[in-house]
Amino acid sequence: MLVWFLPLFLLFLMVGLPVFFGMLAAPGILLYLNGQERDIGLLYRNVYNGMDSFPLMAIPFFMLAGELMNRGGITLRLVEFAQAMMGHFRGGLAHVSVLSSMLFAGLSGSAVADTSALGSMLIPAMEKQGYTRKFAAAITAASSVIGPIIPPSGIMIIYAYVMGESVAALFLAGIVPGIMVGLGLMVMVKVMADKYDFPVATRKYTWPERGTASLKAFFPLMTPVIILGGILAGVFTPTEAAAVAVAYATVIGLFVLGTLKLRDLPDVLSRAAMTSAVVLLLVGAAMAFKTVVSLSHTPEILAEFILGLSQNPLILLFLINLLLFIVGMFLDAGPAIIILGPILGPIFVSLGVDPVHFAIIMSVNLTVGLATPPMGLVLFVASSVSGEKVEAIARAILPFLAVEVVVIFLITYIPAISMTIPRLTGFVN
Amino acid sequence: MTALMGLLAPLQFINDHVLRLGRAIGIVAIGLMVVCILIQVFMRYVMNNALPWPDEAARFLMLWMTGLMAPSAYRRGGFVAIDMIERFLPPRVVAGLALFLLALSLMVLIVGLQLSLKHVSSGWLFSSSSLWIPLDWIGAKSFKLKLAWMYMSLTVGIVLLIAVSAELILRQLITMLGGGERLTPLAVYEGAD
Repeated sequence: MLVWFLPLFLLFLMVGLPVFFGMLAAPGILLYLNGQERDIGLLYRNVYNGMDSFPLMAIPFFMLAGELMNRGGITLRLVEFAQAMMGHFRGGLAHVSVLSSMLFAGLSGSAVADTSALGSMLIPAMEKQGYTRKFAAAITAASSVIGPIIPPSGIMIIYAYVMGESVAALFLAGIVPGIMVGLGLMVMVKVMADKYDFPVATRKYTWPERGTASLKAFFPLMTPVIILGGILAGVFTPTEAAAVAVAYATVIGLFVLGTLKLRDLPDVLSRAAMTSAVVLLLVGAAMAFKTVVSLSHTPEILAEFILGLSQNPLILLFLINLLLFIVGMFLDAGPAIIILGPILGPIFVSLGVDPVHFAIIMSVNLTVGLATPPMGLVLFVASSVSGEKVEAIARAILPFLAVEVVVIFLITYIPAISMTIPRLTGFVN
Repeated sequence: MTALMGLLAPLQFINDHVLRLGRAIGIVAIGLMVVCILIQVFMRYVMNNALPWPDEAARFLMLWMTGLMAPSAYRRGGFVAIDMIERFLPPRVVAGLALFLLALSLMVLIVGLQLSLKHVSSGWLFSSSSLWIPLDWIGAKSFKLKLAWMYMSLTVGIVLLIAVSAELILRQLITMLGGGERLTPLAVYEGAD
């Protein structure tokens, strides 16, 4: 009986109930109907206990660090660096967009921040050089999904917390997949640039000029080194590393680059706090939801159903990728991970898939979903930044999505892509 | 309509001001969270002397930040939802559905408030392991903070969410009765993914 909370939850979701309320209403109603009123109290306590967590504090801190860097004009320096390195290639600005996203990903774990920060700068510049607006918006949206894959990553912190995995292991496992997505997009840009005769962005920079651009971008580019280096060396926990990143971004923006003003801080803090509050409430609701998932034996029932389809893990991984891709079309990566992680994770771990590997499959797939029509969040942001219709961007993005789907399958069927770095560094056995 | 507008006006005024105060406290809270953790990093790795209180203090601040900021996000439409179905339904059905969903959300919050009050009551029985009020600085006796002060963060958040829910329901009813143009537009949420 209790297991009916899942279809009820899906119904609530489909008709537009906010995920937070749906995650509490559906289990609550079924617990009540099942005569388990006492467990409704447990639901509430798990919301609170779910939010009262030290590791979870990394989320507001990374959001704040990203906001500070964005507001401090650090994005511009990254773009200048990328332009010095790749602007002279055919389709140079498109390459610059992808490389900038890869660099930006090391500072912020958000695809939306990437699209709005880089898009507002690069989409008009690409248009000026003769690219169509829909292409410029599409490559910006497609490359922005690298943001939550290369560490630091908000969704990986959430997954690690909800599923009890190591944040550091997930961060490390995301590095190669993130780079692969970036390189794959660059290959597609190269193919399209040759076919459609895209312009080069700039003359070829001399090495001294590249040196100057690198120096200007030095401080922003040190952020991921500090975060990952600190975590790997055992100096910081991920939460502490995130707080250090906030301090670093503040000092760089206020005192070194002078691009951030004190009067900017209240707005930056307010945006980070409000976004974090929404995510933290969702994570709290997810912990309550997870309790009912366990009480109702949903993973066991679903596992029986899934194993009835096939016993072959390779086929099941294909099917699960299909499911995640469809879910990603309608739901943002964070809430989707919160909902599906506790349901699907145990099933695939019992089939012998490493938990970290499965986390990366889920994270990358659902992150790519941010750029898929009809509900891809970054498509809407790219549309608002560029002024192009969402439908036009959705068509122009298809070649890039094809590349990202190929990367998803490579990650799925070659675990070494994601697992090598965590294994070499001892974060996964 | 006049009665609904009469109900909405004071509620909107209260929400405007209380939520603004909440956001101001939330801003201070997130700033202090960073400070707490940096103090801990400094003490642990530079002074080799970890303090007992910064981690718990930062969690305390995070809970209050969440409780005080989330209602503003809800009011601005920042709670994640799939809003695709409205494209396929007639406007009148969409309006009715929106009202139903707001009412359902309000019910969740009311049940949540009842449970929350019990939770806070239980919190007066237990003290924090590391947070205390240092009244010895002014010659009085110091005492440990009760956990109820932490639990209360979510209670306050729920109360504010209920106030926002009530406002949104009134706004929806007024819109359905054709008075939408008389409503003051609310700020729009601009969060990240």
